[in-house]
Amino acid sequence: MTTAPIGTDTLVIAPMLVVLVAAVGTLLLGRRPRVRAAVSLAGGAGYAIAVAAIDWYIVLAPDAPGIATYQVGDWPAPFGITLVADGLSAFMLTMVAILGVASLVFSTRHLPGREERSYYFPLFHFLALGVTGAFLTGDLFNLFVWFEVMLMASYVFVAYSGGPQHTRAAFWYVSLNLLASAIFLLGVGGVYATTGTLNMADLAQRLAEPAAYGLEPVPVVGLLGLLLSVFAIKAGLVPFQFWIPTAYRAAPPQITALLAGATKKVGIYAIIRLSFTVFAGAEVAVDLPLPLVDVAIAGDSPLPFVGAALFLMAGASILLGGIGAVGRDSLEGVFAYSSIGQVGFIAIPVAIAATATAPGLRKFAIIAALVYALNHTLAKGLLFLAVGTVKSATRTSRFADLGGLASRSPPLAISVFVGSLALVGIPPLSGFFGKFLVFDAAARARAGPVIVLLLVGSLLTIAYATRMWNQSFWGAQTPAVEAATIDSVQVAVLVVLAATIVAVGVGFEPVYEFAEAAAEAALDTEGYVDAVDPQNASELTDSSSGGGGDH
Amino acid sequence: MTAVVLAATIGALFAIGTFLLLRRDLIRVVWGLAIISQAANLYLLSMGGIAPATADSVPILAGHGEHVPQTADPLVQALVLTAIVIGFGMTAFALVLSYRVYEEHDTLDVTELGDRE
Repeated sequence: MTTAPIGTDTLVIAPMLVVLVAAVGTLLLGRRPRVRAAVSLAGGAGYAIAVAAIDWYIVLAPDAPGIATYQVGDWPAPFGITLVADGLSAFMLTMVAILGVASLVFSTRHLPGREERSYYFPLFHFLALGVTGAFLTGDLFNLFVWFEVMLMASYVFVAYSGGPQHTRAAFWYVSLNLLASAIFLLGVGGVYATTGTLNMADLAQRLAEPAAYGLEPVPVVGLLGLLLSVFAIKAGLVPFQFWIPTAYRAAPPQITALLAGATKKVGIYAIIRLSFTVFAGAEVAVDLPLPLVDVAIAGDSPLPFVGAALFLMAGASILLGGIGAVGRDSLEGVFAYSSIGQVGFIAIPVAIAATATAPGLRKFAIIAALVYALNHTLAKGLLFLAVGTVKSATRTSRFADLGGLASRSPPLAISVFVGSLALVGIPPLSGFFGKFLVFDAAARARAGPVIVLLLVGSLLTIAYATRMWNQSFWGAQTPAVEAATIDSVQVAVLVVLAATIVAVGVGFEPVYEFAEAAAEAALDTEGYVDAVDPQNASELTDSSSGGGGDH
Repeated sequence: MTAVVLAATIGALFAIGTFLLLRRDLIRVVWGLAIISQAANLYLLSMGGIAPATADSVPILAGHGEHVPQTADPLVQALVLTAIVIGFGMTAFALVLSYRVYEEHDTLDVTELGDRE
């Protein structure tokens, strides 16, 4: 930390401060729509700048430290609240920043609801605050708190449009997440009782040397399973996917883009961070018969359990999401189910990484997961925003009422086409590399059945993307499409996102390097522990409890 | 003894909460969720352990003077306070939502709600 340039530690808290100020500012300016939108956009821009600064000064610059910590209130690590920014957090934050700014610009043009509008932007920023906090926190209980901040904003958004079906969707969404929160607390309590700490770095350190701290690591496996189920709910993996279609249909499309692109990734992030950075060091003898992968499933950490569970959940997600998407009759329906399937594609490489014993394969699989997650954020964000454009222009998103959108607005059609192709995985788009790396990771793990599964999933993607395209963009123009007035700013946002997808695919080299840095950070438990430095603080307690602070 | 009583109480709360959660009435579902989150809070509190109070674990007791009873771990108390506030707010929100559901659907019966699209 001493080599870090001045200010990198303070930089960690910058994106959170920016969104917090933006949230409060827009709340106070509720009665002045133009000023409020301007403040909101300024907040979005400030957030993007703060994230870019973290990316460069902490992760990507030649002399960057790779990791920076901010101890809130200057309390030393295991006692105070620690915020940590490393490659993995930075990669995730970058995805949220790109999509968040796009969604924010989009939102200034069309807001659903009437008198509720004044609360739209504050809620938007609180949602971003929760997501950012979850990516940056270095403490298990704070992860719970940031999850709640994020969820509270999303609850209101699901109920936002105020119709009967929105209220009902929101009720089930709230109920499910309240239950998930209780389970999260059970996991947190169990981890605290087992290990005596909730600071992630301290936790990793204690689990790596259980004898030195006098703890029994075996219960940790079950507790990790409990936490995993909570994160799987957030990520929408089968069998916890049932809330997704109704909630995604109920929320405004530009928020659904964020729900699919950002909050889902919080679940994935939490799985990667806890499994690989924190719990990987725990020594638990494992002998698990799992026929899917050839690589050794036995090991000495809880990771193979995570891998086995993720294989099952991800496989089911790919199939259920793909098959479900083929049969939907509206744009959101297709994309919501597609979202379930795509998150399976992200989870498969994570599962491969968890079961792999070779460090090279483990790192490569995490890179594949991250690149695929980036592609999903861009493509699905673009597609849900396109749903917003279509809905605000034609007041419908049902295939029965749509047709001929391609001839009505070519830029819209081209953007959606690029987004769909990125989902399918056509070169030179970002989706090609995402899919290629996932297949490559599966091939390196010699997991034959997994490759077959991925192939089936890809074919299903082609099927529903084609069907969506044929039914809404080709054919004769329906009356709704003919009467539509398509907003040019919204289309411009879509075109920019489509260009980003192409740019990521064409200039893939730096993206891969960033993902590589992120994967290294995810696997570098020692670096994480050193940066947070809980040892220093435990020496403090030892001296105060032993000598009564007599020096 | 305390541990057994706590375990039994937490178990009973989870049982009651789950029972209510599976009712057809929306209000009971909300009650079930509230009770389950309180059970989780109690569980969290008991996970910190209850031990004889010393000035090391509870610094404020250094100036207390007289004999003090056993205390729960102050860290989990802080955590549980946070969790209670969050859970309480969310329960209130869920109650408001169920009122709104009643206004819009004229029913609080879960099975009837599911039938409408």
